[in-house]
Amino acid sequence: MLQEISNTMHKKPKLRLVALLTAPILWLVVAYLGALATLLVAAFFTIDSFTGNVIQTFNLGNFHDMFTDAAYKNVVLRTVGIALLVTVVCTVLAIPMAFYMAKIAKPRSQKILVALILTPLWASYLVKIYAWRTMLEPGNGVLDWLLGPLGFSSPGFGGPAIIIGLSYLWLPYMILPIYAGLERLPNNLLDASGDLGAHNWHTFRRIVLPLIFPSLVAGSMFTFSLSLGDYITATIIGGKLQMLGNVVYQNFSINLPFAATIATIPVTIMAIYLWMVRRTGALASL
Amino acid sequence: MHSKRLFSRIAVASVAALILAGCSSSNDEASSSGVPDVPMMNSLGAGEGQVNVVAWAGYVENGSTDPNVDWVTGFEKETGCKVNVKNGATSDDMVALMKTGEYDVVSASGDASLRLIYGGDVAPVNTELIPNYADIFDNLKLQQWNSVDGVAYGVPHGRGANLLAYRTDIVKPAPTSWGAVFDVNSPYKGKITAYDSPIYIADAALYLMKTQPDLGITYPYALDQKQFDAAVELLKAQKPLIGEYWGDYLKHVASLKSGGTVLGTTWQVNINLAKGEGTKVEGIKPTEGSTGWSDTWMISSKAKNPNCAYLWMNHIASPEANAGVAEWFGEAPSNAKSCDLTADKNHCATFHAADDAYWDDVYYWNTPTEACLDGRTDATCVPYAEWVKAWSSLRNS
Amino acid sequence: MSGSTIVSIRSLKRSFGDVRAVDGIDLDITEGEFLTLLGPSGSGKTTVLRMIAGFEKPDSGTITLAGKDVSQLPPYERDVNTVFQDYALFPHMDVLANIEYGLRVKGFAKQECRSRALTALKQIRLEGYENRKPAQLSGGQRQRVALARALVNQPAVLLLDEPLGALDLKLREQMQIELKALQREVGITFVFVTHDQEEALSMSDRIAVFNHGKIEQIGTPREIYENPKSEFVSEFVGQTNRIEYDGKKINIRPEFVTISRASSTGGRSVQGTLRDAIFVGASTRYLFDTSIGFPMISTQSNNQLKVGDVVTLSWQEEKEFLVQQ
Repeated sequence: MLQEISNTMHKKPKLRLVALLTAPILWLVVAYLGALATLLVAAFFTIDSFTGNVIQTFNLGNFHDMFTDAAYKNVVLRTVGIALLVTVVCTVLAIPMAFYMAKIAKPRSQKILVALILTPLWASYLVKIYAWRTMLEPGNGVLDWLLGPLGFSSPGFGGPAIIIGLSYLWLPYMILPIYAGLERLPNNLLDASGDLGAHNWHTFRRIVLPLIFPSLVAGSMFTFSLSLGDYITATIIGGKLQMLGNVVYQNFSINLPFAATIATIPVTIMAIYLWMVRRTGALASL
Repeated sequence: MHSKRLFSRIAVASVAALILAGCSSSNDEASSSGVPDVPMMNSLGAGEGQVNVVAWAGYVENGSTDPNVDWVTGFEKETGCKVNVKNGATSDDMVALMKTGEYDVVSASGDASLRLIYGGDVAPVNTELIPNYADIFDNLKLQQWNSVDGVAYGVPHGRGANLLAYRTDIVKPAPTSWGAVFDVNSPYKGKITAYDSPIYIADAALYLMKTQPDLGITYPYALDQKQFDAAVELLKAQKPLIGEYWGDYLKHVASLKSGGTVLGTTWQVNINLAKGEGTKVEGIKPTEGSTGWSDTWMISSKAKNPNCAYLWMNHIASPEANAGVAEWFGEAPSNAKSCDLTADKNHCATFHAADDAYWDDVYYWNTPTEACLDGRTDATCVPYAEWVKAWSSLRNS
Repeated sequence: MSGSTIVSIRSLKRSFGDVRAVDGIDLDITEGEFLTLLGPSGSGKTTVLRMIAGFEKPDSGTITLAGKDVSQLPPYERDVNTVFQDYALFPHMDVLANIEYGLRVKGFAKQECRSRALTALKQIRLEGYENRKPAQLSGGQRQRVALARALVNQPAVLLLDEPLGALDLKLREQMQIELKALQREVGITFVFVTHDQEEALSMSDRIAVFNHGKIEQIGTPREIYENPKSEFVSEFVGQTNRIEYDGKKINIRPEFVTISRASSTGGRSVQGTLRDAIFVGASTRYLFDTSIGFPMISTQSNNQLKVGDVVTLSWQEEKEFLVQQ
């Protein structure tokens, strides 16, 4: 029986293709595109202002509200700013770490380091953020206790706390692609650059950076998009500061269509981001 | 190339089908009063074995929080209805949960109950099937927030006031007025908290009602545009004072304990929890009075376990359970007989269960509508949807 | 060849873990010469090259370049350039940018970089390829770009790390000739690493034969080939018949062993019975069992011999050489 199936499959490559791709395509279409489409459609609905029931008639009121209320412009700018800063912080921290792992550490410690980078991913997101809440607690948090004697203090809950928290959470997602990119980078290119008279910084800027750029882009897609959509970190250590995700979260129970409208913003930003990345050509060499 | 085109066609077709499916579900048809026609239960049958409950934290305790606090296990044994509870953080949360149709009963506050009734999400309650209904204080029955045209939509649960919490070891002298949380020169700037919900605008309105009589506010849930704007302005001025807005009561209790929050609006149950962890904290009803809640147990119009739901509503209104909840949560019970059963014999006195005068300046949460709830006919009031937008805007500015 | 010493290496040592890769080397490289470091893999020749370039630091010993001790200097402060085994061209830069790289780094004006790079490009006969990426070039072309990229800097010494290893035979032979011609033309000192003795013999002014981290012998190709000082050198550089003749241990290269049908003609000769003949193109390698008990090989132009034929093998005494055991 199995033999027969595989024989038929072998003779009909088209059937083989269909069998292989049906499940993933269905998944992609229904779960992914379907959800996006529903989101987009819902953004044009409105709600009964009293009962909160969704009224399915097309109108642009939500978009009007979103664009006219300065608060939403602020929250978009703030969120994009945070996502960019998180990406920058992650990149700045990840490059030297990944470089050490890929090019300097011995093969044995290399494996241990990769494992160490991966371990935090096993811990619950919430546990980690609540841990940061204890660390950042103004007055009696760990950070204040540590930095107090040096004359510094914890930034408390708010924007800096969110950036610290998110950078901490997403750092592995930046390190791993850069590490993989550096692994692929032949050592003798670095030797060659030095040989031709380039100092280390010059070698980094002219050889390493351009060659791991696709990895940076891959990492930044994680750090940027994950930050853009996050609301839990902001809830727990953001103090009274809110991000786009919080607006969606706040509204989805009260006013689903408006939440959908807001949710189109990160989707649009990501689309723009990907389009810009595509123009750099980095996606082609991933 | 061919298969690529084939798949993209499938994709387009599926998305179109989904969109059509999303659009075709029709709205509920409404009766003349504007309330959707939802049938009432006529007779009770056998229990279904379980009941799914949406409740405020502390309303459904089975001994897992504190072994001595348990009014669920007995009910489960007696009726065979297993109680599955989902805590709602805010009234908006609860409304959203009930709209899913996954839950049978809800402990709805006044700012949720009417929305649920008019949204067709809850059914009228046949009080004859609930023997304990007879013992409920009369002034809680058939009120504006739990009935329509003399038809009961739920069983009153209990009532309480939103209190002003302060750390007794830090905030000196002890506050007496809500002014403490609106004082732009407050020494506790950055350590003040407020409830993270649109309904908190009413707290500002209440304060204005007492401090700026020119505005003419008589009921914090009936604000015309000018009054509403004044309340929102007050909250904007308050924002720099706020360290965190709280929606998650456990985080709120943790903040009170750590000193991250030293002053701000709270519930009695939070005070109890914080004190239980050794925090020096007290809660008072300030001189201006306060907002508050009067909760109602309601049954979903889509209840899958209606019999267990009725059994639960009867149980939670019983003197024993009602006394248990009232004492644990720190509110006034709704069943007149509960007062004899509380562990603290003074509980009903402390919480003014039968003291009508105490409740005079407690403004129970209500859902603002365009028709002013204070009876004004010459003005249009700001409906709840606008409250939501204003709150969202305030929080994100 | 009578120039001054450009690189002077003294007591150079380098270990990797327990392995003594370079175990005390002294070497003087003369300005303008083509010096080959020859040896099997793991003999330390590449490590010496990398230490001259500065990619590895010696454990002890000194490297002097043009009179200056450079042992501890980073690569970018040494006036040497390297052609890597697999070229190490920068994949994201085009041919011109690759060649210009060293000049640009050193801060030459854009215009000068451009004209010098184009000259170099002409020198390696790749005009018109300036905007290609390395991936769009053939192996030989990449090789030449790597060469140009190094030479354009006019280093005191050019280091070449098995640069022809990845090329096929024909291209390799062609490149050997080109490389030698280029070296004469530019007059720069070449230090060339290879494990291919033929390549070493055909290109070098001098060869240093490496074994186990030490230099076994250093000399002109002829000296090395005709007068190897050790068994290792004789074995590694060409084939050797190692026999006992007249009670003496002697060595004789197969091509100096002649075959004749006639019986013994006096001088150095033995009787041999053909066991096997291996055809290698231009010549044939004949394997004999001999009357003195040692097998012998004679490499000759093709001969009409059949297995089992008995012949006389003879050679001239001056072609014999002795080696240290």
